[in-house]
Amino acid sequence: MSPIIRFDQVSVTAHGKTILSNISFALFPGEKAVLCGKSGSGKSSVLRTLLGLHPLQLGTVYFQEKPLTPLSVQTIRSCTVYIGQEPMLGAESVRDALLLPFQFKAHRDNRPTETQLIEVLQRLQLPADILCRQSNRISGGEKQRIALARGLLLGKKLYLLDEVTSALDAESKKAVFDVFSDPNLTVLSVAHDPEWLERCGIVFELEAGRLTQVKRHGNP
Amino acid sequence: METLDIELPRMALLYGLCLLPWLLLWLIGLRLSRDIGISILRMSIQLALVGIYLKMLFNLNNPWLNGLWILMMLLVADLSILRRAGLKARYFALTTFTAVASSILFSTAYLVILVIQPTHYYDARYLVPLAGMILGNCLQGNVIALERFYSALRKNENEYATFLMLGATRWEAVRPYYRDAVKAAINPTIAGMATMGLVSLPGMMTGQILGGSEPWLAVKYQIAIMICIFTSTTLACIINLKLSLKIAFNSFDVLRDEVIEKP
Repeated sequence: MSPIIRFDQVSVTAHGKTILSNISFALFPGEKAVLCGKSGSGKSSVLRTLLGLHPLQLGTVYFQEKPLTPLSVQTIRSCTVYIGQEPMLGAESVRDALLLPFQFKAHRDNRPTETQLIEVLQRLQLPADILCRQSNRISGGEKQRIALARGLLLGKKLYLLDEVTSALDAESKKAVFDVFSDPNLTVLSVAHDPEWLERCGIVFELEAGRLTQVKRHGNP
Repeated sequence: METLDIELPRMALLYGLCLLPWLLLWLIGLRLSRDIGISILRMSIQLALVGIYLKMLFNLNNPWLNGLWILMMLLVADLSILRRAGLKARYFALTTFTAVASSILFSTAYLVILVIQPTHYYDARYLVPLAGMILGNCLQGNVIALERFYSALRKNENEYATFLMLGATRWEAVRPYYRDAVKAAINPTIAGMATMGLVSLPGMMTGQILGGSEPWLAVKYQIAIMICIFTSTTLACIINLKLSLKIAFNSFDVLRDEVIEKP
């Protein structure tokens, strides 16, 4: 089986500062990995680099063994879900936010039904009436779960998550953990939460833009 | 009907009117004498030079010279738009020039050749003031469009990235900011047309009436110029923003830092 993501001696600079230095690792389909380290160590930059948001200075990033290029970046972006610490919903109501990606050419033909919307909300412990609420009136934890719901509706298999459980209570967190217990989903995350770290099969430790340690747990 | 001339002594009397606001400003403690003096002096010299130049332009009425004058105005407008929008001329000079020049030339040609139909289409009396008025308004619109669009993109960097991550193409991801910017650019023209004649008498119409035209003729010219301003501003903003998209982003659809002038 070939890796879904592979960083090969990747270095990245932004605004004249080195943010990633000689990073190499591979992630296989179904694996759950977490990047940890102090703030400013380059954890989020790894996720953003994979999405083509930081130009590479050295090395190559591979997605499904194809190098990241201006031509392939669209494929990578349409196959992954990226959820930041403060996810942007990008629409006025929650319903519009969930349906937003289906306005784009890439997903236009896969618009979900009302039942599918409610189903995915329930999976994440969100009430159905949240659909009619204004995006700016919902909490950070709800936003994170709505962004996640949007990814699930798109049927994506690779999730890049940046502190996604940071604003969640125990119950919502459990719902999120349940979603990611699916062996078909691959996760590359950034987290400090010990519970999340425990559930990830691989822990990458970063320090000042360098990968210093890779720990593998028994169960992925 | 001949417009009454203002002779030199009466011009001096006119400048004398400035003494009243100057005195009032001085009394309330605003020391603006220098600024007021410089502004009045600059206005007078600049307009005098334009007067001399236009007189020459009208006397010669040479199509090449008229064309050169319009080209000059377009070049100055191009640089002025980019400077005021905070974008580097090195990157955007050509795209802005293309957008503004094509829309101005199109609407001016439409107005002069198809609508007014003077004996010579290059007649400086029509071509120069009409192109100048259309350009002046189009310039404002393009400053607003570019400034709005690129500051919205920088302010909503995360939202833009979210659109890309959700599978949007570059064009799909910028479209909300693109629409807002075009709307902001043409709104003043639309609002201006809606209140025209009620709130204030438009400048060109007033000028024509003072120049001895029939009010009805002046009204028709005012309508013509407003429609051309609206058309050219809309065209120029839409084309300008669209062309700039090819330059302002890297091949991964990320906005390039170096194209924006640092404040």
